[in-house]
Amino acid sequence: MKTKMKTSSFIIIMVLAIIVAVYTLMPFFLVVINVFKSANGIVADPIGTTGASFSQLLTNLSNVVNNTNFSFWYAFGTSALITIVSLVLLALFGGMAAWVICRNKTKWSTAIYMVFIASMIIPFQVVMLPLISTFRDVGSFVGISMLQSIPGIVFAYCGFGGAMTVFILTGMVKTVPYDLEEAASIDGCSYEGIYFRIIFPLLKPSIVTVTILNGMWIWNDYLLPSLMLGQNGRVKTLPVAVQAFVGSYVKQWDLILTAALLAMLPMIIIFLIAQKQIMSGMVEGAVK
Amino acid sequence: MRPAVKPVAARHSGGGRFARVSVMAEVIIKDLKKVYDNDVVAVHDVNLHIKDKEFIVLVGPSGCGKSTTLRMVAGLEDISGGELYIDGVLVNDIAPKDRDIAMVFQSYALYPHMNVYDNMAFALALRRVPQDQIDKKVREVAEILGITQYLERKPKALSGGQRQRVAIGRAMVRDPKVFLMDEPLSNLDAKLRNQMRAEIIKLRQRINTTFMYVTHDQTEAMTLGDRIVIMKDGVVNQIGTPEDLFDRPVNLFVAGFIGTPIMNFFEGCKLLLEDGVYYAQIHDAKFKLDEFQQNALKQNGQKACDVVCGIRPCHVTVGEGELTAKVEVNEMLGSEVNLHTVCDGDEVIMVIPTMNLNVDVSMGTEIKFSTQPRLIQLFDKETGNNLIWYDKESVEANAPVCKTYNF
Repeated sequence: MKTKMKTSSFIIIMVLAIIVAVYTLMPFFLVVINVFKSANGIVADPIGTTGASFSQLLTNLSNVVNNTNFSFWYAFGTSALITIVSLVLLALFGGMAAWVICRNKTKWSTAIYMVFIASMIIPFQVVMLPLISTFRDVGSFVGISMLQSIPGIVFAYCGFGGAMTVFILTGMVKTVPYDLEEAASIDGCSYEGIYFRIIFPLLKPSIVTVTILNGMWIWNDYLLPSLMLGQNGRVKTLPVAVQAFVGSYVKQWDLILTAALLAMLPMIIIFLIAQKQIMSGMVEGAVK
Repeated sequence: MRPAVKPVAARHSGGGRFARVSVMAEVIIKDLKKVYDNDVVAVHDVNLHIKDKEFIVLVGPSGCGKSTTLRMVAGLEDISGGELYIDGVLVNDIAPKDRDIAMVFQSYALYPHMNVYDNMAFALALRRVPQDQIDKKVREVAEILGITQYLERKPKALSGGQRQRVAIGRAMVRDPKVFLMDEPLSNLDAKLRNQMRAEIIKLRQRINTTFMYVTHDQTEAMTLGDRIVIMKDGVVNQIGTPEDLFDRPVNLFVAGFIGTPIMNFFEGCKLLLEDGVYYAQIHDAKFKLDEFQQNALKQNGQKACDVVCGIRPCHVTVGEGELTAKVEVNEMLGSEVNLHTVCDGDEVIMVIPTMNLNVDVSMGTEIKFSTQPRLIQLFDKETGNNLIWYDKESVEANAPVCKTYNF
């Protein structure tokens, strides 16, 4: 392959790739070099390494973690809980929905599928304000606080993430031969057994994919939690909590960037650990 | 509501290798019918009594309802009408898993995420058979099928033939009452298919249970089946042994479907009745029918009429004879030669053993040929029914067999 590719086009592609990589990684690079500096150091030389020291990083970290306004561990735990619960529910129910939609071809199942697809097209910004008032009404009607609560935001994430999850998993279910389900039902599987023992394991590659996509989005999301949980609410996710360092007049850049790095870190670590599976999840099923 | 299905564990408990607690596994199909939502009738009132340990083959062209019938027996399709009994129990509304059947699919349907061992152990594990018994059973079956060395492999790392064995093994470990096979060999290449066919025959002798086998390949049907059910457009055309179907086809469809190359049909023939003696007239040649045919026709009160005569390619002799044909294609197959000829507008295929060949049969030559009158099949020109073997009563009962005579 490589030898066949013309040298000139190879060079062009590489140059383009490098430009895109630099462009994408620049913000991350700025965060990384600036967490080693004090607030003044950052303002003095934002893109150089002047004033950077490892001891300053430790100072920044301890300032962030011990800041009572920020309450890092609490926000971290909240983010983790919301993300994990949402992802588990999305994978479980998304798979079920995809399976049923795909296998019971009726007018209704097609209509429901179309609703899922349609909801992907609508931008979040269009629905966000009606959503908040609806959640408030529903919450007061059923007596459960939907706003400023973890169940409420998990519910919202399942709704927003459900469309893409169902869309991707439906495509995957279509590739699972129906014979397998019939064989399983003859072998003695119940309806639930067929899902959990046959369908769910076979959806694994796609479930990894949707979990990565949803996970990155839910973990990093700022807008929905800021609306649903509020700036000064009881419950805070990491991205919302970082906001604590942003004042109207003073921006504590050292703390903002350190907190941002801490917020990014889990996703980066997970990506590095699960890289092999993520990549195989994206290509598995492509070749028989 | 629960059927009289003995738990597998109970049946596994005793006995040696494949010793079965004598499970009677008769399958009785009464007026079985399948009508789809769009009013398409896939299967018309099928009646079939499959005896214990019998090997039944359902054969027919694509879309004839054979697979649908099998799937209704398996419980994968709802039964629109009629009754289905397995081992004396009405199973119409019983879930597939409770019917105590096993099925081998055309696509093998092996679970891709499980290795061979788990694929085979799956059904037993679901029935909560103790682990040591599962292990024993799986290894025993793997040994018989010669797949022991592949037990740890995933299905995708196996060849077609090996996957086929695993699929059969998965069905075997359960000791089912009825073994259902839906075109199990059609995904294999010709050589492997012949090999697996022989293995199924061996296997059948070994596990000795009731088999229901669907195929569109009449060679498979003839070699495997104790009895064959031949279907067309959802209707059973004939139920009989391979010999019945070959020698005593009840109608033109059965006669044309069974046998390769297919039977030669001569249009515009006549059945003559002169002084109480029946003759078959094929073109200008007149054959005095055999004594058995004379008696049968007499008993049926058959009058002289227009008929279609059928002669199997292997029943033709060349060299001398009343009929003349021109050789168009000559296929030399070594032990025999297939001649594609034209006789007065009718295409006639002849299969002649080379050792009996003593005339020139090169392309373009005219040859004389004949047959023995007793090998001529006579079909009514209007209905296509065999004048001798068509049995009206059995057809009316939707379980058509060839007519029996006792002279």
